[in-house]
Amino acid sequence: MVTLQQYLILSAVLFSIGLLGALTRRHAIIVLVSIEIMLNAANLNFIAFWRFAPHPENLHGVLFTLFSIAVAAAEAAVGLALVIAVYRFNKSPDLEKMNSLHE
Amino acid sequence: MSHISPILLTALIPLFPLAMALTIALLKPAWSRAAAGLALLGLGVSLVLSLYVLNISLHEPLQYGAFTWLQTGPLHIDFGVLLDPLSASMLAMVTFIGFLIFFYSSSYMAEDPDCSRFFCYLSLFAAGMLGLIISNSLLLLFMCWEIVGLASYLLIGFWYQKPAAAAAAKKAFITTRIGDLFLFSGLLWAFKDGGTLLFYNHGAGLLEADPVARLAGLPLPVFGLSTAAAISLLIFGGAVGKSGQFPLHVWLPDAMEGPTPVSALIHAATMVAAGVFLVARTYPLFVADSTALTVVAWIGGFTALLAGLIAIAQNDLKRILAYSTVSQLGMMMMGLGVGGISAGMFHLLSHAFFKALLFLGAGSIIHGCHGEQDIRKLGGVARAMPLTTVCYLCGTFALCALPLGSGYFSKDEILLAAWQHNPGVFWLGAIAAFCTSFYMTRQLCYVFPGAHRSPGHPHESSSRIIAPLVILSLFALAFGGIAKRLGILEYLDPGFKAPEESSLVMMIGLGLALGGVLTGYLIYGLKPLTVDVPDALTRPLGPLYRFLQNRACIDELYDCTVVRLWVELAALTAGVEFALQAATGFVVAGTREISRNLAFNTDRILIDQWSFDGLCKVVRGGGFLSTRGQTGQLQDYLRCIALGAVLLGWLTWWTLARG
Amino acid sequence: MNIAFYLLSALAVTGALLAIRLRNLVHATLCLMFFFISLAGMYVLLMAEFIAAVQILVYVGAVGILILFAIMLTHHITGATRERISSRGWLWGLGAALAVLFTVLLPVLLLSVLPAAPATPDFSPSVRNIGLSLMDPYTITLQVMGLLLTAALIGAVAVASTSVRPQDKPRT
Repeated sequence: MVTLQQYLILSAVLFSIGLLGALTRRHAIIVLVSIEIMLNAANLNFIAFWRFAPHPENLHGVLFTLFSIAVAAAEAAVGLALVIAVYRFNKSPDLEKMNSLHE
Repeated sequence: MSHISPILLTALIPLFPLAMALTIALLKPAWSRAAAGLALLGLGVSLVLSLYVLNISLHEPLQYGAFTWLQTGPLHIDFGVLLDPLSASMLAMVTFIGFLIFFYSSSYMAEDPDCSRFFCYLSLFAAGMLGLIISNSLLLLFMCWEIVGLASYLLIGFWYQKPAAAAAAKKAFITTRIGDLFLFSGLLWAFKDGGTLLFYNHGAGLLEADPVARLAGLPLPVFGLSTAAAISLLIFGGAVGKSGQFPLHVWLPDAMEGPTPVSALIHAATMVAAGVFLVARTYPLFVADSTALTVVAWIGGFTALLAGLIAIAQNDLKRILAYSTVSQLGMMMMGLGVGGISAGMFHLLSHAFFKALLFLGAGSIIHGCHGEQDIRKLGGVARAMPLTTVCYLCGTFALCALPLGSGYFSKDEILLAAWQHNPGVFWLGAIAAFCTSFYMTRQLCYVFPGAHRSPGHPHESSSRIIAPLVILSLFALAFGGIAKRLGILEYLDPGFKAPEESSLVMMIGLGLALGGVLTGYLIYGLKPLTVDVPDALTRPLGPLYRFLQNRACIDELYDCTVVRLWVELAALTAGVEFALQAATGFVVAGTREISRNLAFNTDRILIDQWSFDGLCKVVRGGGFLSTRGQTGQLQDYLRCIALGAVLLGWLTWWTLARG
Repeated sequence: MNIAFYLLSALAVTGALLAIRLRNLVHATLCLMFFFISLAGMYVLLMAEFIAAVQILVYVGAVGILILFAIMLTHHITGATRERISSRGWLWGLGAALAVLFTVLLPVLLLSVLPAAPATPDFSPSVRNIGLSLMDPYTITLQVMGLLLTAALIGAVAVASTSVRPQDKPRT
């Protein structure tokens, strides 16, 4: 039997990997990819907890995950549109070049 | 008025002219014509009071009052009023002659634009002189002495735009000041040893028996004098200055730069008499020690002779009269020195009348001859100005001590006393009398007969000028004889002892007087005088004549010695002052530089650089540091968020773990 | 059961790691898709088949393709080989991520008391029930989702549209 703890550890690891990517990579699209990884890890967390919870027939976990997926898709769409727009302006997806807000 | 105390009345006498002086000083320019009237009014009231007081004094010889003016601890200075024969007679003479001269001036000075200033000064002078006469305190006398000196300065220099007048005024003031220094020293000494400055104070005054005896008893380590003699000599020093005795006589002839009424009033009749009056007033101190009186007599005699000799060689009308005054003052001093108060004072009173007459007459002549003062250029005045001539002749008659004129009686007294007590001085006086007649006759021969030697015609003066002349001529002729008959000598000095009559002295005196007139007539009066011919005495006397004409070169002597010394001292002090100023300048500049540097640098470095700029740098650096976090890099912000979340997690973990 | 779990988790972790570390963007996206698929498998293991289906449909089918389109439109499929792929200060990022994992997440997990087995081992939700739940308690959420997706659609189009406004001059 796979315990809840194992699922959760997996989820945590995946989340940290996503966080690592978001904090480390220079390419804007890869940062968005990392964000997607993080969101997926969180979804996994939800489903795991739903499954091992006392009353799974409430379907709260499932529906929440459903909405989370929807939101993540919307956010990915808008984020990529933003990356495209900024790329047109800066001619490069390099995040290090996007520092107009600096002092 | 009998219920008012005579002392109070006496005290009021100087106050009327003083009030008038103040009023005239404050008059609006539009009312300046009233100045003469106001002055006359003030002095007129004083005249009336003086006559009244004289009347009282004839019955009661000595009255006085005193009050404390200043008191600090045991020291107190008193003022007071004194009414004795000396004061009363002087008051009457000064106010009477003053009144006549004020009247004369109202016409003489009428065209002068500064006429109100003239009467202001005249009234001030009158107030000072009257105050001097009635003073019971040596200090009050000294104060009035100074007022009189000031008024004399102001009046001599009345036409101050003339450099000669301004210089003469300065000379008069400075020369009399030297005398005043002696007087003040005497005053201080008298106060120190005598304890009081009052003359009469119920037995404790300076001139009363006990203090005088005490002062006479105090010996001095130097000169072998007693204190009384020393004080008297110092006081006499003041009289030497004011009365123009040798060696301080040099200011009097120059004082003729002033208007003629001033010469008449101040430098003939009254102010110069103040010195004689002072000696007479403090006579008890002089009498206590005969040394002082001897000195007075000799100086008086010498002055009389010297001035008489110089007058022979003078050519200015008023200057001759000025030297005549000096000579007569010498006679008065001589009289005081040998014969007591009466002799000197009697001569002073009679001299006042005829000398004032002579000066006013000279003024009339000058006025009538359109300002000509050189006798060589005058002449023919007798034909043109008969009234003036007659009055002038009366004055000359009295001055030359010709029989039955006033001068005859008063000078006679002096010569008699001198013959008795001090024959050496007698001969000085006798020769001076000869000189007097000689130079007056010379003057008459130059001025009156013959034809006028300068262009223009002289004309007789107005009645306001003639009237005082006439009145004074009457007095000049009559005063001497009548006063002596009425016992003026006993009145002036209660302890008067008439000197023994000596017909020899009278013969010598009369002979010298007539001889002088005769000699003068012979030398000057026989032939008519012309302008270009030099004086008849020039050839016989030669260099002596030039020496005398140059006023015995005394002025030049003073110039080389005293004045020169003073100029050198002034230069020396100026040098010292310059050095001091340079030194202080250095110190000041140095301090200023140091403090400026200090202030500047402190301000610049300490406050600006270190404090302010430093603070700004710190703040800026802090800002710099804090904006280093604003990189604009997205992932830097994300990392911060992540770390923040970690910290938050730890905080929650820790909180939950504890509680 | 366990083998499936370990296999799928290994696939997921590998996919994720490769997705964030590959230089070639298309390869990275592919690995991401593998990651998605493995997660879908996880969902099946957890008896949430509907979610697994949705995961494949949405993530793999839409989001992945979307990322590929974006890569295509930005013309930088491979970064320059000399350039580094990690941003400045990547060590901080590594530290932060490790800190999050090892100091926050794992301790909490390991120290918590968690149920070992599912409460109802044989339960599996039907699609009908999911649909009914959408209508009943989650009506409004459904509508909001629709709104959100519409807004995202419009927003994405508006942001990424080709017309460059005159004031947005591209930087050279």
